[in-house]
Amino acid sequence: MRPRALPAPAKVRWAMLVTLLLAWELVPRTGLIPELLLPALSSTLKVLYQDSHIYWAALLVTLYEVALAMLIACGGGIITGAVVGGIARLRDLLLPVFSSLYAVPMVILYPVFTAWFGIGSESKIAFAGIYAFFPVMLSTAAGIRTIDPQFILAARSMGATLTQQVTRVIIPASLPAVFAGLRLGGALAIIGVVVSEMLTAAAGIGYLVTLNRTILDSARVFAALLMILVLSVAYYMLARAIERRVVVWQSVGRAPKAAQAEGGPGVPVAAAA
Amino acid sequence: MSRAQIIMTRLALLALVLAAWELLPRHQVVNPLLLPPLGDVLSMLGKLLLQARVHEAIGVTAAEVVVAFLIAVPLGAVLGVLIAESDYLGEVFKPMLFYVFSIPKSIFLPMFILAFGITFAQKVAYAAFTTTFVVMISAATAVESVKQDYILVARSYGATRAQILMRVYVPSMMPLLLEALRISMIFNFTGVMIAEMYASRTGIGHMISGWGENFQMPELFAGVILLSAVAVLFNEAVRFFEARCSAWRT
Repeated sequence: MRPRALPAPAKVRWAMLVTLLLAWELVPRTGLIPELLLPALSSTLKVLYQDSHIYWAALLVTLYEVALAMLIACGGGIITGAVVGGIARLRDLLLPVFSSLYAVPMVILYPVFTAWFGIGSESKIAFAGIYAFFPVMLSTAAGIRTIDPQFILAARSMGATLTQQVTRVIIPASLPAVFAGLRLGGALAIIGVVVSEMLTAAAGIGYLVTLNRTILDSARVFAALLMILVLSVAYYMLARAIERRVVVWQSVGRAPKAAQAEGGPGVPVAAAA
Repeated sequence: MSRAQIIMTRLALLALVLAAWELLPRHQVVNPLLLPPLGDVLSMLGKLLLQARVHEAIGVTAAEVVVAFLIAVPLGAVLGVLIAESDYLGEVFKPMLFYVFSIPKSIFLPMFILAFGITFAQKVAYAAFTTTFVVMISAATAVESVKQDYILVARSYGATRAQILMRVYVPSMMPLLLEALRISMIFNFTGVMIAEMYASRTGIGHMISGWGENFQMPELFAGVILLSAVAVLFNEAVRFFEARCSAWRT
């Protein structure tokens, strides 16, 4: 039990956010940290407004790359994960191999992709797609295994045909795993695209970060940074909201827990980069 | 499938991939300029491993990885234990962690460069920063995995705090702690690589991105093989110990 004197956790979180934003404005203003290191929030918002057409154009490029990378990572990852996780033979054969390969820092493959596909959007899509593919696949494979075999047994003993078993039992029961995969895949696709745009690119928000960093225009760096922050948090909130609506009947939180216990990547995966 | 069959099938798959890597470029099925044959890459790897500047780069990268890990693990572990043991801190911070995880940490690299310059400290600080979050959540999960029943039993038999820590917490957490270390190392290594590839004057990550920009494909693939091999071997070594430590659990 929490002692009465402590304020509610949600309030503390809001207070921390407000303090952070205030500090962002006031600390540089008072000169405690030079504006080169940390431009004030108001200067950041001002350049974001002044250059809004540049930032919108960059955002569109980034979103286009993220969407295609997500298609590769989530489409490929969820299907492969469902197949590998669902078929016992493939699971024993391949799952340990995939989790070993997962140890490789994917970012070292990015120079390969730029050499193959050039510095345009293609290399970012390929890199972010592969970067997000493995975690999505591993988490879906782990999630699929948590489907209660009793469900299928019950359906079978009531005389369900194979089609009925798939559409009425297996697909609804695997939805939590699929949505967890979508959430993870989108977050990782954003990370992958931003990282690759920062490394070698000619467009996109990540490119704006690097471009303005090299000319020491800190306000524009932070404007791009703020946009990426908002983009990734917004995606996460959206994914959670959809997930909650669709899988409301499932006992919430069961699938991710099981995924972690299986040694698959649970939440920590998204922390890369 | 039996254990032996599984291993044989895996080896066969590996042999197939390696043979394709060697034969397809050799016979011009894929462009050898884009994918040099495996043999060429391996002989390049042999050559690179004899060069002094490669030794130096490996030394720098290894030092960055180790120092960042030594900073991030204790820091993340303390924070993780705090949010796991204190219900209040857990309630405040855990929901925030999920948002923090979905943010690309690389966007903070420019701040590290401004604060530290393009130095050893900048790479270490950035990698430690990204790794701390992972350690934190893994440590919290490890602490929470200890069954309250065990602690109750130990207490009712009159165990001291130190005994509960050493005889209950540590053994129950061991497999998860090793897993936490393993996953943290993956992220730590990735963090150092990104920092080196982004802005650096030395280190293996810097060399790899240079080779990519200059289209030196054999060197690039040799670097990728070297780093992948190191990462996979480290990972497998920890997993081996993990399996030994959790044998009693089932």
